[in-house]
Amino acid sequence: MNSLFLSLLLVSLLFMKSFSEGQGKKWKGEGTTQNLESIVIGRCYEYTIIVNPSVGEKNCSALWEAFKNAFIKKDPCNILPTDYELFINLSLHTIPPNKSLFWENNQLLVSRFADKTRRYMSLADTLFGFFGDLLNWCGQANSTGLDYDSCPTTEECENNAVESFWRMASMTYAQHSSGVIHVLLNGSAEGGAYPVKGFFADFEIPNLQKDKISEVVIWVVDDLEGPDRDSCGIHTVEILENRLKNLGHNVTCTDNYKSVIFLLCVDHPDHSKCAFSSSAPAAQRGPISSDRRGSWSKLMFVTFVGFLFRSALVY
Amino acid sequence: MPLQHSSARTWQRTVLLAGVVVLLVSLVVAIILASVLTRGKQEISPKMLKWKDRGTTRNLQEVILGRCYSYVTARHPELGDKDCLKIWESLKHAFIYKNPCNITTEDYQPLMELASHPIPCNKSLFWSKTNDLVHRYTKSNHNFLTLEDTLLGYMADRVSWCGDPAVPGINYESCPKRSECESNPSSVFWKMASKMFAEAACGVVQVMLNGSIEAGAFRSSSIFGSIEISNLNPDKVSAVQIWLMHDIGGPQSESCSGHSIKRLKGILEERNFKITCEDNYRPVQLLQCVNNPDHADCRLCSSNTETP
Repeated sequence: MNSLFLSLLLVSLLFMKSFSEGQGKKWKGEGTTQNLESIVIGRCYEYTIIVNPSVGEKNCSALWEAFKNAFIKKDPCNILPTDYELFINLSLHTIPPNKSLFWENNQLLVSRFADKTRRYMSLADTLFGFFGDLLNWCGQANSTGLDYDSCPTTEECENNAVESFWRMASMTYAQHSSGVIHVLLNGSAEGGAYPVKGFFADFEIPNLQKDKISEVVIWVVDDLEGPDRDSCGIHTVEILENRLKNLGHNVTCTDNYKSVIFLLCVDHPDHSKCAFSSSAPAAQRGPISSDRRGSWSKLMFVTFVGFLFRSALVY
Repeated sequence: MPLQHSSARTWQRTVLLAGVVVLLVSLVVAIILASVLTRGKQEISPKMLKWKDRGTTRNLQEVILGRCYSYVTARHPELGDKDCLKIWESLKHAFIYKNPCNITTEDYQPLMELASHPIPCNKSLFWSKTNDLVHRYTKSNHNFLTLEDTLLGYMADRVSWCGDPAVPGINYESCPKRSECESNPSSVFWKMASKMFAEAACGVVQVMLNGSIEAGAFRSSSIFGSIEISNLNPDKVSAVQIWLMHDIGGPQSESCSGHSIKRLKGILEERNFKITCEDNYRPVQLLQCVNNPDHADCRLCSSNTETP
């Protein structure tokens, strides 16, 4: 009798545990990144001291407080971009002209291409973008704590902490961009290189300042393996070009911009699109191989000398 | 007559007493003033030692902690057991309040133990005089790891630190250059970290050298030449692959058949390593071409449909 009771108790406990586990997570998305505060404060100092000291000193603790206050102790589905206004005001800095790089569907490639502000300054290369890049966060309505368990996805609710952050950051980035601005699109993306609904379309283009921008340069680059779904002048890229022209911008577009192709080739050096033409020096692999450049020019020189000698003899 | 004499003496005694009191009071005031001023002076000039190199990075603690958590959390979650606070404390105790010309390997031992982690075989990438290029490469291609891509190197890259016996124990103004003293916090750190990085290497290891510098691609005095080579373990490392890179459009000071490479080959062969050498290893050269897409050395076979 006792053992039966104990077994029943055990079974019901196990059932309750698995039931509660299934019901445990409030939202579908991943929870707040562990050690968020240390990471972002560290990033703030890293950016202002090492990555881009031209922005001067920023109060990184104040930045964290402003960031946190945008979303803690609130309904995680009711965070608006304007809640981050103080954070943006504290972290804002000049974006050098001609350095802005917008993008869609190629985040990692853009990060490599921008080369931590040395080539371009993408949103993730600004202080406010660097702060939140690749991190996740959300709060809870009835507590000052961060939710490390789960966070709402944009499908569950649009006005979540992370979505609103990036909307505000994107708008700010566009507003402060000037000179020649660049946008890198993925010509192999499903649905087209230019998503008509997306961060670039909805939050960046509408905030471009026409009087500060001299030209919009579009690069449409396909994956090495393709497919070539979209290109300059057709489909969604045509829509983009027309939209920008209607807004009064000077627009140029290039397919498969060479610099970016080279970057894609780094991971696929043997791809047919990455082969150097024959006159470019070829690498020689092997046990301490001999000098490679000399042979062709030596041959030319010898032929020329031979020709001279022969001409001299004839004369 | 006696009455007059006694009142004069009383007057004299009073004056004398008043004088003594005034003297005592001024002495006490002088002592108080002196101690206050000298204390103030100590606060104003902590008498820290002065050196020729840049001082400790401001907010070093926050930067190091942030990098540690970033590395462990975001980039390498398999290292989740690393205690970043402990790691920071062990770094701090290696140099704080110490004379920065007297740093020893023992000072860094706790930090090295806490922060070290295994490195997969065939992934170690050494380098000499190719700092910029090698790290742009490993940022793109995660098949290889330089020291600066390990937790220790990642935390320490591009920051500096040194201590001082005077309060607050950290010198933010200046730190010793190697020419001022060899046993400085930075040199000792990087020597130790490089030694450990070499010891941990296994399988095929790679080294990226610069064939465009006059001084020669391989120098015995470099960290690679003086520390890393001698700490490669022949029981773990099977081969060394040399990538000899030239600047695009730059001088071809040395190639795989050059003098210093022959010397390097000799040193490595003596320790039974197999060596291969490649001039302008393709993937890295492609990376160089990103900045020089129109250079003659970067002409691609495929016709790129570029519309101006």
